Amino acid sequence: MNRQEFERKNATKWRAFELKVQAAEKRQNVTGGEELPSTFRKVCYDLSLAQYRMFGHRICDHLNALAIRGYRVIHRKRGVFGARALQFCLSTFPRAVRTEWKLACVVSLVFWLPLFVMWWLTGKDLIWAQAILGSEGMSSLEGMYGKGADTVEHLRSEHGSNFMMFAHYIQNNVGIDFRLFAGGILFGIGTLFFLIYNGFHFGAVVGYVTAAGDPEKLWRFVAGHSSFEILGMLVVGMAGLKLGFALLAPGQLSRSQALSKAGRDGLPLLIGGALMTALAAVVEGFWSAQPFPAKVKYLVGICFWMLHVVYFVFAGRRSYGA
Amino acid sequence: MAIPARRIDTLQSVELAEGMEIHLRAAGPFLRFIAYFLDLIFEGLILLVLVFTIGIIGSVLGANVATGVYYLLYFFIWWFYHVFFEISRWGATPGKRIFGLRVVDEAGGAVTLGQSMIRNFLRGMEIVTPFVPLVAFFHPRFQRLGDLAAGSLVVYSKPRVEYSVAGPSAMVSVPVTCALTREEEAAILSFRYRSGGWSEARRVELTNHLQPLTGEVGPKGVNKLLGMARWLEGQR
Repeated sequence: MNRQEFERKNATKWRAFELKVQAAEKRQNVTGGEELPSTFRKVCYDLSLAQYRMFGHRICDHLNALAIRGYRVIHRKRGVFGARALQFCLSTFPRAVRTEWKLACVVSLVFWLPLFVMWWLTGKDLIWAQAILGSEGMSSLEGMYGKGADTVEHLRSEHGSNFMMFAHYIQNNVGIDFRLFAGGILFGIGTLFFLIYNGFHFGAVVGYVTAAGDPEKLWRFVAGHSSFEILGMLVVGMAGLKLGFALLAPGQLSRSQALSKAGRDGLPLLIGGALMTALAAVVEGFWSAQPFPAKVKYLVGICFWMLHVVYFVFAGRRSYGA
Repeated sequence: MAIPARRIDTLQSVELAEGMEIHLRAAGPFLRFIAYFLDLIFEGLILLVLVFTIGIIGSVLGANVATGVYYLLYFFIWWFYHVFFEISRWGATPGKRIFGLRVVDEAGGAVTLGQSMIRNFLRGMEIVTPFVPLVAFFHPRFQRLGDLAAGSLVVYSKPRVEYSVAGPSAMVSVPVTCALTREEEAAILSFRYRSGGWSEARRVELTNHLQPLTGEVGPKGVNKLLGMARWLEGQR
């Protein structure tokens, strides 16, 4: 069979296949859709025949494009979103965190150590607060948590301000998470920088407010959302460091393979951590500034921390379903 | 899925479960840079329209709510503009679509939400250091670091259009007396189907290389080769 004959014999079949694929791409009902896979295999066979016999670019490219489109339509992934989201929260995410427990230790150390060191230093000498926060940062803290300052609860009494702050926290904090992750591609340096920087910053804030302001105002505000926000950031930091380590120490794989694997494995950490930070924004926007007594807020904050520990230690240990 | 060794063209062959090989045409960094700049402009335009809309809504709902809505929309456009379009039916942002590009996974299928997030979030950090995106120029499949981490690829979504003019059909077929390989047969046939656009001198120059086969040089060789092409096509 030569090229012309091959084309003449199969043209109608290819055209019919193309029309069906086109309909499926537009998510329309395909008449005779059950024949799609078998026609797809025939088109694949035709393609390999045309390639082997070198029937020329025109036919090969046409069949190649048909095969790619058919492949996309047939192998379209369709899952039930709710079920997958539930499985992610109950099992995939906490499991991913537990698998990477070494990284969890690393990011915790890199964040908490600078925090406590800076807290201690600022308590000893306020010059450290000035070095980290600058005079502007210090005066804005003075305005929020100073001895004579209006409480945060008071600032939030205006209509819609809770929602505005919630949106601000989403935009700012989740954005920081994504940057933290992306920083991993610079051999992990970006991630480490953001973690250490945040550690120093938080430490300086806490140290300064403890020394010069009214610490109760600060603790009352941050108690509720601190667990979501800090743990979310650390989890995303783990995903970022995974990328960095893949480039630095790829082990048996090539660097690009290691990077690809790190991206795949780190994905649950990125998504889960970002979701936690989004939850933190909800809490920070709508709960943390509510006028409740300090004890209630501390209790809720402690409960959230405990829940997180329980979640990461125990969730998803049993596998459900098949 | 097997990724073969380097080859001189940018075709990326992928073996599918169906037992055949497809070729993806990886798109080069230059076109993608331009597409990215177009997308930046589109993002800016969308944001501009939103700001005006929110300004109008804001007068009803109050300034704080309007500011909040603006923050949220800004966040989603900044981080998810590319992701949203790449996981859509188009598989490409408007900028890429204009150039007929598409983002696919390494097997040619659609990218998932996660893959798209990885490749787009890493871009922001890659362009912090101007030399890092240039890595794509040296990669056989033009993957930048974000693509490598996500296992994704930017390809041309349509087959290339080849502007070739078939040469004149020979009057008589000339039988080929020795055994030809597939490649040699294909070369002779593609000479027939592309030589129409070339000058006579070029045709002669090419056929002169085939003197051992045709036994002629000059225009006579061209005629003989076209005759062989006719014979190979089965018109004997």
